[in-house]
Amino acid sequence: MTSTSLRSLGAKVVLASSSDEAQPPQNIIDGNTDTFWMSTGMFPQEFIIRLAESTGIDLVTIDSYNVKSLKIEKNTLDTFSDFQLVAETEFELTEGQLQSNAISLKGTTASHLRFIITSGYDHVVSVHRVSIQT
Amino acid sequence: MVKLRARCLLLGDAAVGKSALSQMFSSDGAHFHKNYSMTTGVELHTKCVNIPETTDSVELYIIDSAGKEIFLEFCEKMWGQPSVVCVLFDLTSQQSFDSCSQWMDRVRAHCRGMQVPGVLVGNKSDLSERREVQTTVAQEWAQSQGLDYQETSAKEMENCEAPFHSVARAFHALYQERRETIRNLHVLA
Ligand SMILES: Nc1nc2c(ncn2[C@@H]2O[C@H](COP(=O)(O)OP(=O)(O)OP(=O)(O)O)[C@@H](O)[C@H]2O)c(=O)[nH]1
Ligand SMILES: [Mg+2]
Repeated sequence: MTSTSLRSLGAKVVLASSSDEAQPPQNIIDGNTDTFWMSTGMFPQEFIIRLAESTGIDLVTIDSYNVKSLKIEKNTLDTFSDFQLVAETEFELTEGQLQSNAISLKGTTASHLRFIITSGYDHVVSVHRVSIQT
Repeated sequence: MVKLRARCLLLGDAAVGKSALSQMFSSDGAHFHKNYSMTTGVELHTKCVNIPETTDSVELYIIDSAGKEIFLEFCEKMWGQPSVVCVLFDLTSQQSFDSCSQWMDRVRAHCRGMQVPGVLVGNKSDLSERREVQTTVAQEWAQSQGLDYQETSAKEMENCEAPFHSVARAFHALYQERRETIRNLHVLA
C-alpha cells in the first residue's frame, strides 16, 4: 500500500484508554497493519485521533481484530470536548484474520475523531490501522 | 510493562463470606466483621495485583454480588461482561457447595462464549470441626469445571490473597496468549 499514513499527515493519537508499551497507540496511525494497539481488558475502550487541521472526511477505514461494537464521535475544536456521534456500527467476527471495515462519514468536518469500542468478541481487541479518505 | 484490567465476579450463596473475603483482600486485612451484614446489591472493590517475575500488573474490579436469591435479578444486570470469576462456598455447608454449579451456569450465560478463567473458593477453613465438604471432593469438581481451587479463612486472614492472585495470573496468561495470536495474524494475512 502506498497510501499516506495519518501520522505522516501530522495526525496524532492524543488519548488511549489502554496502553501496553509493546503496542503503543501510535501504531494505529502508522499506516502499517503489522503493528497494532491492543486493549488491556474490560470495555468500553477508546482512543482519540487529532488531525493536523479540520478536515472533511468521506470515509474512515479501520483494520482491527475482535472489535464488536464501535461508535465514532468527532468535534471541530482544539480541545477534547463537545464530541458528537457520527457513526455507530457493529463489526463481524473474523477468526484468524483482521477485520477491515469502511465507514462513511459523508464529508463531515472534524479536528478530532474519537473511537469508542463498547464491546468485543474477546476480552481484548486490537486496532491495526485507521485511515481516512478526504 | 503493562497494566491489565479485569472484571472479577464474586459469587456464591448468601453468608458464605464473599464480602468478608473481598474486604480482607482489598483493604489488606481490615477488621473482620463477626456480625453478618447482608449484601443487597453489588459492591465494588478494586485492587491491583502484581504478576510475579514480570513488571506487569492486573487491576481487579471485584464485583461482590449478593448471594440471596431475591437480589439476583438486579445483581445480574450489574455483572456486565466478566473477565474472571470467583465462586465461593462455605466449607461447613454442603448446600452452599452444591449451589456452585448453578452459580457457574449463571456466569456462563454472561460470558457470550468467551473463555473466563475462574477459581472455586472454600471459605471458613477455620471452622475445621464443622467441615462438611472435603478438600478432595471440592478439588475434583473444580477441576472438572476448569477452575483453580483454594481454601481460605477470612476470619483468620488465612490464604485470602490466593484466589485473587490466581485469577489475576490466569487473566495475565490469557492476555499474553491473545497478544501472541494477534502478532501471528498478519503473518497469515
Ligand atoms: N468463622 C468464619 N466466619 C466467616 C468467615 N468469613 C465470613 N464469615 C462470617 O460469615 C458471615 C457472612 O459473611 P459475609 O461476608 O457477609 O457473607 P456474604 O457471602 O457476603 O453474604 P451475602 O452478602 O448475603 O451474599 C458473617 O457473619 C462473617 O463474619 C470465615 O472465614 N470464618
Ligand atoms: Mg456480601
